[in-house]
Amino acid sequence: MNKTWLVIKHEYWKQVKKKRFILAILSLPFFILLMVAIGFLSVIFQYNDSPVGYIDRSSLLDNPIEYKAEAPIGLMKPIEFIRYTDESEAESALQNNIIQALYVIDKNFIETSEIKVIANKAPDSSVNGEFYTFLKLNVLKDLPEEISSRLMEGASFEVKSTGEQTSANEDNVLVFILPFLVGFLFIMAVNFSGGYLLQSVVEEKENRTMEIMVTSISPTQLMTAKVIGNLSVGLTQLVVWILFGIIGIFSLFRIFPDLQSTKIDFSFLLLTIMVFIPAFVMIAAMMAALGATTTETKEAQQIAGIFTIPMVLPYWFMQVLIEKPNSPLSLFFSLFPFTAPVSLPMRAAFSTIPAWQIIITIALLIIFAIAALWFAGRAFRLGMLRYGKKLSLIEIFTQRP
Amino acid sequence: MNTIEVNNISKTFGSQKALDEVSFEVKPGEIFGLLGPNGAGKTTCIRIVLDIFKPDSGSVKLFGNGMSEEKKDQIGYLPEERGLYQDINLEECLNYLASLKGLSSSESHKRINEYLIRFNLDEHKKKKVKELSKGMQQKAQLITTLVHDPKLIIIDEPFSALDPLNTQMVKDILREQRDLGKTIVMCTHQMHQVEELCDRLVLINQGKSVLYGALSEVQKNYAGHAIHVRTEDQIPASLPGMNKFKRLENHHHYQIDLDSQVSPQDFLKTLVAANIKINQFEIAMPTLDEIFIQVVTESGMKYE
Repeated sequence: MNKTWLVIKHEYWKQVKKKRFILAILSLPFFILLMVAIGFLSVIFQYNDSPVGYIDRSSLLDNPIEYKAEAPIGLMKPIEFIRYTDESEAESALQNNIIQALYVIDKNFIETSEIKVIANKAPDSSVNGEFYTFLKLNVLKDLPEEISSRLMEGASFEVKSTGEQTSANEDNVLVFILPFLVGFLFIMAVNFSGGYLLQSVVEEKENRTMEIMVTSISPTQLMTAKVIGNLSVGLTQLVVWILFGIIGIFSLFRIFPDLQSTKIDFSFLLLTIMVFIPAFVMIAAMMAALGATTTETKEAQQIAGIFTIPMVLPYWFMQVLIEKPNSPLSLFFSLFPFTAPVSLPMRAAFSTIPAWQIIITIALLIIFAIAALWFAGRAFRLGMLRYGKKLSLIEIFTQRP
Repeated sequence: MNTIEVNNISKTFGSQKALDEVSFEVKPGEIFGLLGPNGAGKTTCIRIVLDIFKPDSGSVKLFGNGMSEEKKDQIGYLPEERGLYQDINLEECLNYLASLKGLSSSESHKRINEYLIRFNLDEHKKKKVKELSKGMQQKAQLITTLVHDPKLIIIDEPFSALDPLNTQMVKDILREQRDLGKTIVMCTHQMHQVEELCDRLVLINQGKSVLYGALSEVQKNYAGHAIHVRTEDQIPASLPGMNKFKRLENHHHYQIDLDSQVSPQDFLKTLVAANIKINQFEIAMPTLDEIFIQVVTESGMKYE
């Protein structure tokens, strides 16, 4: 069997079989699930689905159009509105918990906008909102159908940057979320894989196995296998999380059917993948070089943090990237190899990026990735048998392996 | 064809010259000693031979030409910096390393089990490597050196961390490997081990080769004109052909320096004629330790 493959397999299983890995991989979905569950529970405990009573002194709700308030979670029953004419009857219903609140619409509501709410416990603001919608619906009922429904649904705002073709529809939530999400996933994946790789290279030094290894396979094979093996570990972690994410999204779709209308643009995904792959290799190689030049896991991990900072930098300048996708800063961020993986998808979501910029970005990333691999190879050959002493940058460039 | 040919290799690390024009050859089927004090450049030399480092100048030939990936499977290397994967169990670790030397999974399992039994490590094979004692790890490392049945075995300080019993076992294994026709390069500063095992040797000091040749030749060259005698009688203060004598650790054991024109044969006759009862008579060969110290310090004169 090919030796590179043997090392890939060993590196992969070594990490994946660890309890720590399994815990790490399960902890995030578990945590999210817990948060969601707590969210749901708090809604369920707070939400009161008993009916609401109302007394209409303004005559706006004579012969009302039926309206059923939507429940926040599909599983719960919607709030019913019960009309009362007699105030004492309504109040006794309130006393007997038949209704959760009593809305009294003022006689001169149109002028005073006054609605009195009588309740033992103040109703949830969403209940007020629903009652107001019910009222609005009936006030507008005499207008032509399309006008009233337009007023009820509100406007859909379309964001369009001047002179650009791509536009972001605010209704399409994914357009906003996706660039952040993919950027976030990328940083996570890079950090995990890079961390595993770093650990694996430093461990080779700590275990003093480097000499045995390089007299069995070539340093290039060893390096390649380590990069692939550990990136696969990071990707495994990511894929598991994405699977959990998809399951989560489908269950969200069931609960909130409105989201189903959103769609993902595939050219956007393609661009993202083209940017992520070389960026991934570049950062992985740098982590490997770092592992080869330092002597202890702890020290290496501290330095590894430096790579994360430029990657998350675009998030701090998010405002600029979204509002001015073609400003010099946005352009710089999407071209500079370290900030590109997060910036380019973000810009792409809010404007059309000229093809030449995309080509330059990807070309730069590939060049950087190759340079990083070369650098890592040198650092590896020079640093692999150093135990006490760190390898300096100058040595990597000048010394003969 | 020589197994190893080292031609004038030099290597500098920063300002420090680790190796300076070192040359030697290792012949097939011999045990070759690569000797020198700590820091002499032995390990650097081995690493260049194994293509871990590139020499600044000079060249190395292995089995007739340069190093290649295929040749790595023909070489068993026991590095001075012993290293095994500490966090996995012994059996797994050995099998992984054996697979990287080109052994199939079934073959490596079979051979490793044989070695584990032979080295009394069988009951520890499910333990993590870090739970094993230093001596056990050393034996495990030796398994990775030998398991793929290499033609060339290079071992750096093979006896460090071993108790006398295990030292003897390793020596037996080395002899056994030689008898199987393997070429062995033994890198050490423990001279008495070399004397027992090596056919030929090179001595490196401060990066330079200072002594090279067959062990017997080297010893003969450094042998002075002296004999060792054991007798219960007193050696007279003066005898024909005797320059001077001294008592060694045992009172009945003498070292006698002879006049340069007198042969040991003649002196034996003189002793017999003087009616001295001889229990033992031998030509004093310098030990490698003595040669080593002499060459390295360059202060002493030839062994006399």
